[in-house]
Amino acid sequence: MSETLQLQGEKLDETAAVKRGRGGFLWQVIKDRPSAAIGLVIVLFFVVIAVFSHWLEPYDIHTQVGPVYGPPSIHHWLGLDDGGIDMTSLLMEGAKVSLIVGFAATFVAMVIGGGVGMLAGYFGGTTDIVLMRITDYFLVIPDLPLAIVIAAVWGPGLSHLIFVIAILLWTGTARIIRAQVKTVRERVYVKRSRSLGARNSRLVFRHVLPQIGPLLIANTVLTVAIAIFDETALSFLGLGDPTRVSWGTILEHAFDRTAISAGAWWAIVPAGICVSLVIMGCYLLGQAIEDALNPRLKVAHLSIKHFRLVRPLVGRGPDAL
Amino acid sequence: MRGADYIIKRTAFAIATVFVAITINFFLFRVLPGSAVTDLSRVPHASPQLKIALAKEFGLDKSKWEQYLLYLKNLTHGNMGISFATQQPVWSELAQDLRNTIPMVALGTFLSIVIGMATGILSAWRRGSASDQISTNVAIAFYSFPTQWLAMMMLIIFAGVLPSAGMTNPFIFGTPTFLQHMKDVGVHMILPSLTLALTLYGEYTLIVRSSMLETLGEDYVLTARAKGLPQRTIVRKHALRNAMLPTVTLIALSLGYIVAGAILIEVVFSWPGIGRAVYEAVIQRDYPMLQGAFLILTLSVVFFNFVADLLYFRLDPRITE
Amino acid sequence: MTTPLLEVRDLHVWFDLSHGGQLHAVQGTSFSVEAGERMGLVGESGCGKTTSILAVMGLLPPNASVGGQVLLNGVDIMAEGEDTIRPHRWTDIAMVFQGAMNALNPVKTVGFQIVEPMELHEVAEGTAARRAAGELLEMVGIPAAAAERYPHEFSGGMRQRAALAMALACQPKVLLADEPTTALDVMVQAQILELLSGLANDLGLAVVLVTHDLPVVAQVCSRAAVMYAGEIVEAGPMDTLFHSPRHPYTRLLFAATPDLYGDEDVVSIAGTPPRLDRQIDQCPFSPRCDRTFDRCKVERPVLKTVDVDHRAACHLNDVPAGAPA
Repeated sequence: MSETLQLQGEKLDETAAVKRGRGGFLWQVIKDRPSAAIGLVIVLFFVVIAVFSHWLEPYDIHTQVGPVYGPPSIHHWLGLDDGGIDMTSLLMEGAKVSLIVGFAATFVAMVIGGGVGMLAGYFGGTTDIVLMRITDYFLVIPDLPLAIVIAAVWGPGLSHLIFVIAILLWTGTARIIRAQVKTVRERVYVKRSRSLGARNSRLVFRHVLPQIGPLLIANTVLTVAIAIFDETALSFLGLGDPTRVSWGTILEHAFDRTAISAGAWWAIVPAGICVSLVIMGCYLLGQAIEDALNPRLKVAHLSIKHFRLVRPLVGRGPDAL
Repeated sequence: MRGADYIIKRTAFAIATVFVAITINFFLFRVLPGSAVTDLSRVPHASPQLKIALAKEFGLDKSKWEQYLLYLKNLTHGNMGISFATQQPVWSELAQDLRNTIPMVALGTFLSIVIGMATGILSAWRRGSASDQISTNVAIAFYSFPTQWLAMMMLIIFAGVLPSAGMTNPFIFGTPTFLQHMKDVGVHMILPSLTLALTLYGEYTLIVRSSMLETLGEDYVLTARAKGLPQRTIVRKHALRNAMLPTVTLIALSLGYIVAGAILIEVVFSWPGIGRAVYEAVIQRDYPMLQGAFLILTLSVVFFNFVADLLYFRLDPRITE
Repeated sequence: MTTPLLEVRDLHVWFDLSHGGQLHAVQGTSFSVEAGERMGLVGESGCGKTTSILAVMGLLPPNASVGGQVLLNGVDIMAEGEDTIRPHRWTDIAMVFQGAMNALNPVKTVGFQIVEPMELHEVAEGTAARRAAGELLEMVGIPAAAAERYPHEFSGGMRQRAALAMALACQPKVLLADEPTTALDVMVQAQILELLSGLANDLGLAVVLVTHDLPVVAQVCSRAAVMYAGEIVEAGPMDTLFHSPRHPYTRLLFAATPDLYGDEDVVSIAGTPPRLDRQIDQCPFSPRCDRTFDRCKVERPVLKTVDVDHRAACHLNDVPAGAPA
């Protein structure tokens, strides 16, 4: 994307950068914005740990390897939990489950939201009104209580957890896709009607996905963050999968089994930091992509700093500064 | 009158949302399979008379449709059934919980909005400075911390200094005076409210900062500077109110997070409010309580959304239709 | 020679770019206006005309570096930057912005926005200020009662009239107008321009009118300066510029302009202006010029007097008349 410096109505083309392909765009964002690179590195770090957790875990997560709430030591860097199980291993296992829930819930949300958005945007009219009204209601109903109710009625389980979180998160995607389908539809319609007068639904969809690629990625990444946040919340309330270890259940166990009064901060602090880092990483990456797509930050007309004065001027050029 | 249409529309939407919430509530609990969930009369240890009375009251022998109408009718009288756990009417239990929750949540939310607005405005004004960077990154960090984790961290840090559980000191002898009681509650409220404020403020900072930046790029800010107005006046009289418009909307959309935060915080700090009631209802499979609490939480979010709509109307003279 | 009311001397503006480097947006502009005189500053978008007048008022963003002098009655008001300019804003130099660019605050009444600078600069206060605002509105053809209304309740033309009334609130001596009629339809445009000319005459205002639209300048101004790539390439009385331009850009600009009621599709000048983030060592217009010769590629022409009150920056003016170029 060519970047423009918008200046009081005068557009000064900053670089003659040509429009790149979609992959090129993402790469450009990561190269140009340190926050995006930091975010990506954090997310990738945890993805690698999750994928290779089976081989990376130093101890078995079902076996007691030391005293209850044993403090951090040479052998157990992050100490032991209430069952004498190695915390480092638990955190790695937790990374796997938390990320699976995060990504899977996001995927399901994308499918639901994408479907609703496509239908609403493509058909317009009554379909659009009805679907968007439903989306509005979902936006107003508080997420966590709804998730709690559904999860409580439905019973625990990993797949239930994924679907429950997905039900909370599809609205954002639906809105983005709908808006984009609408624009593309109008554009294609205008172009077509000028040349052939033909209409072609396949064409719309072929134009939609490539158009919203980067925006969808930003949305996905931000949704993953919320999904992981929701997973810890639901697990903390005892609505997770009790047979699996996730960051949420680690926090739940620590709280339930009085890690605080035992002074076992190592059973609490690292899990929270892991969750925070992943969410932060996703936020930085997603926000950077969104900002790059939508450079709404014009030159501010007001700032604590003022322009600089330069003098004397004779013979000065840009290089002389 | 200006905006009569707008107010009618928003009121209609609020009322419609209430109905959607009630309907979801009904269907989730009555239509899903599983008699423990569907049968409100299965109060454990209840006398046969109570069971018969409940079955009659809620029309459990009738069709689902008639049950729905009965449910609506009962709701208008505040009848939400009998708690499985305490065998008391759900509404009287929840009313007390609500009274405990409101001051704690109000204080936390108020603090978070004040801190979020102050830091967001200063950040935008000093965009790019060190203070902007620090404030933005701290905001992202607090936005990323899982609520229950932050609450536990507060417990660890302030354990000896501030009361960390419940709403009052159970070891006060005799009957405390009203002032003593208020002071006791106030001291107990510090940690939960502060935690709520901290988990919420980060998002508000980011929202306010970005909408403020957008406003500072508008031409009327340039006009204000051209008039020779001092910066402080420009921010206060010209930028702030315009920046508040998107902020009000976004804060309204994040009301669900306040509810989620309240639930998790009340669990960690054993605050006897509606959030803790939800948690206990989940643990004890107390479906009538869960259903009632969900309804109350949803209605309060719908209500505050409506308040936000009215506030928006007050702030923006452009709303006419 | 008397001191002009407003004189800009050798104005330079650089912008720091976000990826490093600098953009030399204004490259040594000089011009002056007398009381009662109306001057046009003409050029394509991006040529630095808006940047120039924003620099005069000290309104550039913090990524700008500014050099040169802005003399008001012979006193350099830019000597200490923002601090020395601010007292002159609106009291001595006021500005009208492009109406469509929402220069009026949407959540404040029009009256408030006119009264605000009066109270700030202690021109009038309270009821007196409100009465003065009403009079100003009537002067620009809006009923005084409309002061209580919000900008969105006004049409584009009315908004622009209100902006004009606002600019006159503190009886300034100089009025800078940035594309005041762009985005208005032709009829409204003509009305606003007539109003602007009339007020300038009645109040003895010095006006600098920035626009890309030559007919607008022709209607309002007696003199004009044509800007290209950050510098003035030709300046002189409007008639002279029209009948005997001494820079090919001016000539092509007039040729590319439709008459007032002409077709929308105009033959524009082929090519684009040069990038301003690097040193330009040739004539900046030469790549688009239809009369380029060898010297244009190696030497940047400077602004020279070519006739009485007529300056141009083109090597062709050094070629004796009749000689082959």
